[in-house]
Amino acid sequence: MTFEAISNFIAAFFTLSIFSFLYKDNPFYKFAEAMFIGVSMGYAIPLVYNLTFIPFVYRPIFVEHNFWILIPALMGSLYIFRFSKNLGWLSRYPIVFGMAIVGMGVPMSMHAYVLVQVRTAMMPIDSINTFLIFLGTVTILLYFYFSKAHKGIYGKITNIGIWFMMVGFGASFGYTVMARISLLIGRIQFLMGDWLGLIK
Amino acid sequence: MAKTKMNFFDRMQALDRRYIYLVVALAIILPLIIPFNSKTYVTEPVENIYKKIDSFSGRKDRAVLMCFSHDASTMAELFPMEVAILRHCFQRNVQVFTICFMPPAKPLMDFALQTAKEDYTVQSGVDYVNFGYKPYGIFLPIVLGMGDDISKAVETDDEGRIVSNLEIMKEIKNYNEMNLVVDFAASAAVQTWITYARARFGANVAAGVTAVMAADNFPYLQTGQLIGMLAGLKGAAEYEKLVDVFATHKEMVNGVETVVPRSFSKEILKESWIKLSDIKNPVYKTARTGMNAQTVAHIMIIVFIALGNIGYFVNKKKNEN
Repeated sequence: MTFEAISNFIAAFFTLSIFSFLYKDNPFYKFAEAMFIGVSMGYAIPLVYNLTFIPFVYRPIFVEHNFWILIPALMGSLYIFRFSKNLGWLSRYPIVFGMAIVGMGVPMSMHAYVLVQVRTAMMPIDSINTFLIFLGTVTILLYFYFSKAHKGIYGKITNIGIWFMMVGFGASFGYTVMARISLLIGRIQFLMGDWLGLIK
Repeated sequence: MAKTKMNFFDRMQALDRRYIYLVVALAIILPLIIPFNSKTYVTEPVENIYKKIDSFSGRKDRAVLMCFSHDASTMAELFPMEVAILRHCFQRNVQVFTICFMPPAKPLMDFALQTAKEDYTVQSGVDYVNFGYKPYGIFLPIVLGMGDDISKAVETDDEGRIVSNLEIMKEIKNYNEMNLVVDFAASAAVQTWITYARARFGANVAAGVTAVMAADNFPYLQTGQLIGMLAGLKGAAEYEKLVDVFATHKEMVNGVETVVPRSFSKEILKESWIKLSDIKNPVYKTARTGMNAQTVAHIMIIVFIALGNIGYFVNKKKNEN
């Protein structure tokens, strides 16, 4: 038996164990679930140690002697004081530093998420699509204006906004169903193809 | 006590959900085992990415950056599109950079590169370079730094080599040359590229996202902040088809089947018909075989939704009467 065949067999066993929950809760499912959590943690710790701590902390400080790395390294390690009642306040310093980076992103976020979107929504109405975008934007904005009761003609206009939102939610839900089925297809492709060799 | 007679809809409404799971499972398993050629229609956002990458063909002063921002849980949707784009780049001699900022994405990135280069004689550092895993903490400095100098922002590649010394970097400096960033994500990661690389440096950004994230990204397509998007397994199937129809197009030359790439054309695409059973490597048609199953599963779900709704209204009317 090759290494690939053994690894496929183990993967197939755990996939089927997880799927068995669809029938009812059982020891195979519980075992696979506990194994998944354990393996995930066991996998993440050495991975982060090898791919983050060694190249970005240990090597620069102890091999290349770039001692300025000590400043961010020490600041980052202050996070661990969150577990201390008396010294918990120290963990706020790296958080403050992180907030400064958020502040740096505000102007560009305004540009990307607001200004460009608003500018594109103000294009001339020269096609059905641009008309629908105009109608949808205006009616949805009116729907979220709560200082006026949604009655009479105003209520009918805001109803159009509700329809646009329903179409949006429907599209999102349809895509979500598609995504979940795709993930199931991926697993079944593995079981039927890689494991059993039934897919040609 | 006399039993109330249940009609068809009552029985459907009281159906054990495990029967529905069984039907959905069969709706997926059978089309995978007994494959058929469901037609793959290629949409404009996918075409745009293909055309952009194809326009870099053979140019040493252009490159594509592929950013892997997902873990194994969404591999079924994203891995086929990553392999398809890498195949396109290797086949058409387009320089590629790969990078990731999540530890679980690293083995997937390596696996995608290994899978795609199996059929090509490409050399690391010359035709492509894997920048490897960089901690998420330096994501922003790297995205911004690449606007000035990629070599300084990334410093070393996955093999520990100094990036500025690599042959592939001779004519590549920043986003002016590395003119397309494709982010593969199951999250809003692509929006960081839009916010920083696009807004500040005018880089072309494209997204390869899970279907769940597709609806969130359509506003950026409409504004042109994204030049294109591959949405879920369907997007991957479309790109696979484009690669087969154009980049790896085969013709008989002197009695030998030879790969003769051709330029993108809507007319050729409309007339093209690729039989999935003719494609020998199953990895190159993963998304399209998956879409066969997806088609049947979607029909089943539509039937269930219709039956559920009809049953609801029939019972409602019966109770009113």
